[in-house]
Amino acid sequence: MSDLANIPITSGRFDAIIVGGGPAGLSAACTLADGGARVAVIERGDWPGSKNMMGGLVFSQPTAQVTPEFWKKAPLERHITRREMWLTTGESVAKAAYESTDFGAEPYNSFSVFRSRFDKWLAGEARAKGALIITETLVEDLLMEGDRVVGVRTGRPDGDLDADVVILCEGVNPFLAEKAGLSKGVKPESLALAVKEVLALPREKLEDRFNLEEGNGAAYEVIGEITGGIPGTGFIYTNRDTVSIGVGVILKDMVDQTHEAYALLERFKAQPQVQRLIHGASPREYAAHLIPEGGYRGMPRLHGNGVLVAGDAAGMVNAVFTEGANLALLSGRMAGETVLRARACGSFEAITLDYYRQQLEKSIVMKDLKTFQNVTPFLSSHPHFFTMYPELASAAVKELLSVDSLSKADKMHLVIKLVRSQMPARKLMRDLYDAWRTFS
Amino acid sequence: MSEERKHRLPSDDRDWKPAKLSVTDKLGLTKFKPDAESHLSIKDKEICHETCRRKYCTHTCPAQVYRWEEEEESISIAYEGCLECGTCRSGGCPYDNIEMSYPRGGFGVQYRFG
Ligand SMILES: Cc1cc2nc3c(=O)[nH]c(=O)nc-3n(C[C@H](O)[C@H](O)[C@H](O)COP(=O)(O)OP(=O)(O)OC[C@H]3O[C@@H](n4cnc5c(N)ncnc54)[C@H](O)[C@@H]3O)c2cc1C
Ligand code: SF4
Ligand code: SF4
Repeated sequence: MSDLANIPITSGRFDAIIVGGGPAGLSAACTLADGGARVAVIERGDWPGSKNMMGGLVFSQPTAQVTPEFWKKAPLERHITRREMWLTTGESVAKAAYESTDFGAEPYNSFSVFRSRFDKWLAGEARAKGALIITETLVEDLLMEGDRVVGVRTGRPDGDLDADVVILCEGVNPFLAEKAGLSKGVKPESLALAVKEVLALPREKLEDRFNLEEGNGAAYEVIGEITGGIPGTGFIYTNRDTVSIGVGVILKDMVDQTHEAYALLERFKAQPQVQRLIHGASPREYAAHLIPEGGYRGMPRLHGNGVLVAGDAAGMVNAVFTEGANLALLSGRMAGETVLRARACGSFEAITLDYYRQQLEKSIVMKDLKTFQNVTPFLSSHPHFFTMYPELASAAVKELLSVDSLSKADKMHLVIKLVRSQMPARKLMRDLYDAWRTFS
Repeated sequence: MSEERKHRLPSDDRDWKPAKLSVTDKLGLTKFKPDAESHLSIKDKEICHETCRRKYCTHTCPAQVYRWEEEEESISIAYEGCLECGTCRSGGCPYDNIEMSYPRGGFGVQYRFG
């Protein structure tokens, strides 16, 4: 994958240098190369994607904006035709499911992917457009002239590179954005630690167990008694002949409660309903990653003189739907467009680059982040959402579904009584009000 | 496993039990290209020894890189198995006592799936 052998790395100046070959960086690279700019992506891994992990679903619409009809060529696992939300108490599960035949045809809705393969492919697309992809190279520092970023210092012996502008797409640990004074670091209350395993399961068995037509896929999100009562979620996504299974918890709560993330995953895997899906499957890979869930409020400054920040490095994740790759792709593209525009004006001052923030504000990226800006603090301060409500939902559904001598009207009565007994009306109203204010 | 539960499982794997994987087992599945030098270090050993009673890093790191060694009375660092998540620099050590950087380019974890 490495282009290093072929190029004298110090050969002149780049219009733009992008730090990080994830969706944000590669999308910016595609946009810039399309616009005729000299652009280099610097990636510390052996290939783009070798350090990256997600659940993970790639959504069609934003991805197609970067590479149209990508489903015809990208290494995808399955198109997702069914999504389920599970509320679990440990013993029982209340499920909400959505299934659509639309999702099984072009342009599809989403696909399960492996980042190690998907990002590598996307890098190939960027290269085909003319971007230079420099791998196995860590950017260690930014080159500054006063308060202006003028290039990067890499770990290579001849590793200083100059550019008009540097786009930081370095992911959730924003070392460089911190150095540039744009980010103040990310706090444990706005980070989720996720651990994931890939489990191999023969294709037929997998389609059988998940009740899928050939080639179709399912994605399950699970909340409730999987994380020992601390805010967190589990996920199970189907791939071709493997299953991705993982758990994410808010870092601060995990630290406070002395929970171990890997132990929570074992606990999740051992739940009876989960076990039915994965038993006999053999583990293939273990991975861990942070997710920036601070949302709108946790965002760093997005630009300075000669520098822009995109994707996870800028905290662009929708925590409620665990969407981040799409926001990374979109923000990367807008960063690229901003640089093309700045190049046309011949100015890379913060005031010119502010166009980036303005575009983001108008786009779904900021709109979504604003909509959900209070969710993470809300869930942290209402941990019983993860225990009591799943329990109540499950008890209520069980009552309604158990056929005995009670009439349905009596059953409804019983359910209401049950809810009231577990949760005083005032507290319930308070929670509903808080939730309404948070989500609306 | 209760007889009833066993009955509900598909017939092909009735006696299968999920392997309880230890962290070491898990890390054995993942591919690493370790550098000769550590990219992780403890800033002040006194804090681990004197102030930090719960040795948080030993449970917050998803790769169990940190271990409290009773005899040496210090934290040992198995950096070779680091998944480069960043937990230890962002609250995983509440005393902000861990210096974490990424390994040099080309070293460290290499996800085949990711
Ligand atoms: C468990 C989990 C599940 C998720 N599920 C989904 C999902 O289903 N759908 C979805 O849309 N999103 C999901 N996300 C979020 C998504 O993965 C991220 O939002 C997205 O990857 C962000 O892209 P990025 O390009 O900003 O950063 P990254 O993908 O993290 O890429 C950053 C890149 O920069 C490189 N890098 C960093 N520092 C340097 C440096 N100094 N020098 C050189 N290279 C450097 C890294 O090696 C990496 O390749 C999930 C995340 C996790 C952890
Ligand atoms: S959590 Fe921090 S202070 Fe405590 S033992 Fe670990 S490194 Fe030392
Ligand atoms: S970066 Fe993550 S895996 Fe590596 S030592 Fe720190 S907490 Fe452990």
